[in-house]
Amino acid sequence: MRTSSQAAPMLRTILHVVGWSGLGLIALAVVLSDFLAHAPAGAANALHMLEAPSSAYPFGTDLLGRDMLSESLHGLSVTLRHALLAALIAIALGGLSGAVAARLPHGAGFMLRGAMGVFAAIPVLLLTILAIGLTARLYAPLAAGLAAAPFAFVRAFDRVDRQSRSTHAQYARATGISVAMLLRRDLTYEFRDTLAPVAARALAAVTIILSTVSFLGFGTTPPARDLGLMIGAAKAYYLQAWWTAAFPALVLLVLILCARLAAGLDEGERP
Amino acid sequence: MSEAGHIFEIADLNVAKPGAALPELDRFSLTLDAGQIVVVLGEAGSGKEALMRVLGGFSEKGDAISGTIRFASGAEKPAAKRLRPPIRIAYLPNPLARPFAQHVSVLAQLSRVLARKTGSPQASAREELRLALQRLAGAPSLEALNRKPSLVDPVVQAWGLLACVSAQTPDLVLADHSLADLGPTAVSTLLATLAEEQKRLGFALLYATGGLQPAARLGGRVVVIRDGRIVEEGDAARLASGHAHAYTRILFKAQPQLSLEQAKLRGAARGQPLLQVYGLDLLADPHNPSRVRDGLTFELRRGASLALVGEEGSGRRELTRMVLGLDRLTTGRVVFDAVDLNVLSQTMTSRLRRRIAFITGADDALDPRMTLWDTVDEPLRAHLNLSNELIAGYREAALKRVGLASHEGKRAVATLSAFDKRRLQVARAIVGAPLLAVVDEPLRGLDAFAQTIMREVLTDFRTHQGPAFLVITADFTVAQALADEAFVLKDKKVIERGSIVEILRAPKEAYTRSLIAAVTLPGLSQAAGSV
Repeated sequence: MRTSSQAAPMLRTILHVVGWSGLGLIALAVVLSDFLAHAPAGAANALHMLEAPSSAYPFGTDLLGRDMLSESLHGLSVTLRHALLAALIAIALGGLSGAVAARLPHGAGFMLRGAMGVFAAIPVLLLTILAIGLTARLYAPLAAGLAAAPFAFVRAFDRVDRQSRSTHAQYARATGISVAMLLRRDLTYEFRDTLAPVAARALAAVTIILSTVSFLGFGTTPPARDLGLMIGAAKAYYLQAWWTAAFPALVLLVLILCARLAAGLDEGERP
Repeated sequence: MSEAGHIFEIADLNVAKPGAALPELDRFSLTLDAGQIVVVLGEAGSGKEALMRVLGGFSEKGDAISGTIRFASGAEKPAAKRLRPPIRIAYLPNPLARPFAQHVSVLAQLSRVLARKTGSPQASAREELRLALQRLAGAPSLEALNRKPSLVDPVVQAWGLLACVSAQTPDLVLADHSLADLGPTAVSTLLATLAEEQKRLGFALLYATGGLQPAARLGGRVVVIRDGRIVEEGDAARLASGHAHAYTRILFKAQPQLSLEQAKLRGAARGQPLLQVYGLDLLADPHNPSRVRDGLTFELRRGASLALVGEEGSGRRELTRMVLGLDRLTTGRVVFDAVDLNVLSQTMTSRLRRRIAFITGADDALDPRMTLWDTVDEPLRAHLNLSNELIAGYREAALKRVGLASHEGKRAVATLSAFDKRRLQVARAIVGAPLLAVVDEPLRGLDAFAQTIMREVLTDFRTHQGPAFLVITADFTVAQALADEAFVLKDKKVIERGSIVEILRAPKEAYTRSLIAAVTLPGLSQAAGSV
């Protein structure tokens, strides 16, 4: 028998394993999408328009007769690639600079923290749409990454700042260990211990942002279609052909759920 | 109670943690009579913690427990079952083990416990607590407990816990290292009060400890325990007499004693001045520093040693922080290694501090995320441009000196025991080759054996590398083991100064006498010339 204090870490480990296994399978499906899909991306077939799920078309077909299973796989591939790029930008720009800023002297770090806090208070979705408006729809992943960066900055700053106020950091400073060495400690240990969950959490957050942006029509540009755009395109005939939106939404849900589980169901970045 | 007057009888008790190679308690049998005091004495991991868990009814569910327990007149029951003893049992924890929830006042929590234990309304329990505190000589007022735990001094919390136990009028008190590390005078006062309450109320007392203070001050039967088995038992005086089991003799020998014989001076007043302090006043008003008339002036030479002896709040830490330039000086001047710290920039002060090492009794003094090797390597990498081979060589030598060479180098500091962390701090200090080592209560929280080894490690460090030692402690035995001279501090003032032996021979102040008396164990002093 185990106590609740022993059970909690065990449950968390199970969730991590399930999450990362799921992400691994999704990554495999994306790599093999050209083999797994019955048809190439965007291949229309006028003879099989809006067919309900069947053995020939497990996910049915859409208004142009595109196989929804193949389209969902291609859409997943586009969504995941864009989300990975956006998450990388958010972590590299936001997380890294937040950790460095927390070690800056003379309150400079806190001024930066305040400025980034203002940006972090604005919904990331609005910032993303604003950034796309200032650039182009093509740069949606970059825009989402930049919009999520202030949030990653604030989180990294607070985490490292907590470390810099700790007793061990005070003792280290009292024996002449420099700020640069303490920053090296943080980058080595803090990132080693938190990079995987932070990456998974960021992936979940930017996937939601990018899909929402595409759903609203500000994201991916056809002929490339991500899952958000597929759901958005099915709006008009969703009540007659539910499968055209439901299956891409299900795939999207699985991707986000796996990422959140891999992050240990920790509170995600606010979309 | 039973006819024989037993409070409990434990027979063949085995306790094992899941996956552990050895049991925590191995066929352990113990009987405690009504009104009797038993001190369970052993090292950390000797099994006394498991005994307290079983008797207190909070054993972990993973524990494999066998054997029987009979409480008073009740029937013999398997120890693995949830025990519902027919006697009143009170538990006295150590306030430093954070027994209180942090968001509610100490008073509210103690009143709640008392109300539940006595079945009375909380308001009555509060009054009972007030009466109990009034009864205990030297105890604080009830109002002193009416704050969140973080704002209440641990000694005040200990008084509250003791009053709560007393107000329960228990048949049995389980004390789990209850008063350890609260400062020598506080410990001796609280132990004396506990002994008085035990006499007055006649409860049986089971006190688990790693040190000899409770054994010497509470009297009663001492049960020496090792690897889950009883080594031997008897009264403290007999066990200390030398006619005891070899393990017990080592345990009692580990108890530090004050000596009135002048030790050969380990470098006092040798070498150039390292630290010079002029006119420093801890009581100075930072807004009106000109009012200072006679501040503290002293110097510490290279290789010399000085102990700042005083209890929490005496000003010893403030003095150290100011002397080292960690806090801004309001008055006076501090010169370290011929450089006036007042005129240096933060960067330059920081560079100067590389010749200072800290060894403290705080378990969070090392970064828990770092590995054992990285912790030792860091001062070398931070201050010197050495090859990896050289760094590994210095690291190995330092770890060997403190007895950690056999430990896995990639192990995180968080997984080390308190004793290992303490030795690791010394290893880190050794590689830094400091001019000054600030040693702040280095033995706090360690059992008698670990304290002995730690003293040896520190003495070896000082002998071989010769840094000046600034020792911060409330314990004159620690001060004497590590330093030659001492300042006694009280209320942020130095009330007595001089060589430690001279202070021990003829203490001028009552406070100094109380500090010495607090670490002089009645009946256990064996060595000739000891206090």
